[in-house]
Amino acid sequence: MAMAALRREGRRFAGSITAPRPMPDIRSALISEEQVPLGVRSISTQIVRNRMKSVRNIQKITKAMKMVAASKLRAIQTRAENSRGLWQPFTALLGDTPGVEVKKNVIVTISSDKGPEKEVKYVILGEKAKAQLMRDSKKDIELCITELQKNPLNYTQVAVLADDILKNVEFDALRIVFNKFQSVVAFLPTMSTVLSPEVVEREAEAGGTLGALDSYEIEGGETKGEILQNLAEFQFSCVMFNAVLENACSEQGARMSAMDSSSRNAGDMLDRLTIFYNRTRQASITTELIEIISGASALEG
Amino acid sequence: MIIVPATTGQMGVLPGHVPTIAELKPGVMTVHEGTDVSKYFVSSGFAFIHANSVADVIAVEAVPVDHLDSNLVQKGLAEFTQKLGSASTDLEKAEAQIGVDVYSAMNSALTG
Repeated sequence: MAMAALRREGRRFAGSITAPRPMPDIRSALISEEQVPLGVRSISTQIVRNRMKSVRNIQKITKAMKMVAASKLRAIQTRAENSRGLWQPFTALLGDTPGVEVKKNVIVTISSDKGPEKEVKYVILGEKAKAQLMRDSKKDIELCITELQKNPLNYTQVAVLADDILKNVEFDALRIVFNKFQSVVAFLPTMSTVLSPEVVEREAEAGGTLGALDSYEIEGGETKGEILQNLAEFQFSCVMFNAVLENACSEQGARMSAMDSSSRNAGDMLDRLTIFYNRTRQASITTELIEIISGASALEG
Repeated sequence: MIIVPATTGQMGVLPGHVPTIAELKPGVMTVHEGTDVSKYFVSSGFAFIHANSVADVIAVEAVPVDHLDSNLVQKGLAEFTQKLGSASTDLEKAEAQIGVDVYSAMNSALTG
């Protein structure tokens, strides 16, 4: 019985058995050692216990990461939803025309850090997209910006970025690609289009969705061209701001659901291991009892 | 009805206004809802008035006028006026001028 008590406490008998004991006890004592020597009938519970400890640690870590992602998500989600109102007036005025044929396309891809006659150039925000696009279109990359999420996102930062891009890159149409946040488990890759002022003028004259633009009076002393220029730049920075926020939301949401599923997996694994552990422990106790009883009956009879 | 600070001056907008795109300069935007009047200081932006009598005002920054601190406004105005005086390059002059414009608009928003 002392043996069973000691085993329950998880002590290891590293072969330091000194007192003269009957054979069955020595054999059961050896069972608790890590190395399972010959002639032992059941598996060591120590190994299972170690596995359980490591799985439990993993579960704790992933749960903590999930909490962190959830809190970051909450903070940024309200800002993203509010920022949607930034570009809606522009769409009301200019319409959304992804299908307009242009010569120079610049694609601004926004991703996370820890992702013909037509020319396509890329401006990349984020590590993940950089790694991906470096492989295929190395020569088409104009600008590459990383580490966006270090400081909390604000409009000023994005405005500076937009300014940089507008200065350095010539474009007819800017297409911003990002993950639009729908819910914690659903994000849509979306593309928003911002047309350069020249293209807007061209389209307005040609008719179609932008044809109504001409019916708007321009207030102020500037020419239509200048106003459209300012408009396009402002529109770009607004759309970028919203895109960056939505992308950050989607990233936190994805991280949260990934951590959630991994902690749930760890929990399942832990349950299975616990059952196995108990079964093993009970089997070794049963074996020990059988040995004692058969040894005792052998002595009697 | 709203009154927006367009580059050409204060512009009043009522339902049925002709569709317009107006660029805004720093100033006060007043919103009249029935008898409620709310004033916001707008740093700059655009106002779109659509044919269906919907007006959109998009500003880079907008604060309710009672959130403005008059001491800070005075300090800022003095600072930028001094910068404008000592500016050498065109870029510095332009930046200082922008600062002076914004702060004097804020000043008149507080006093007016």
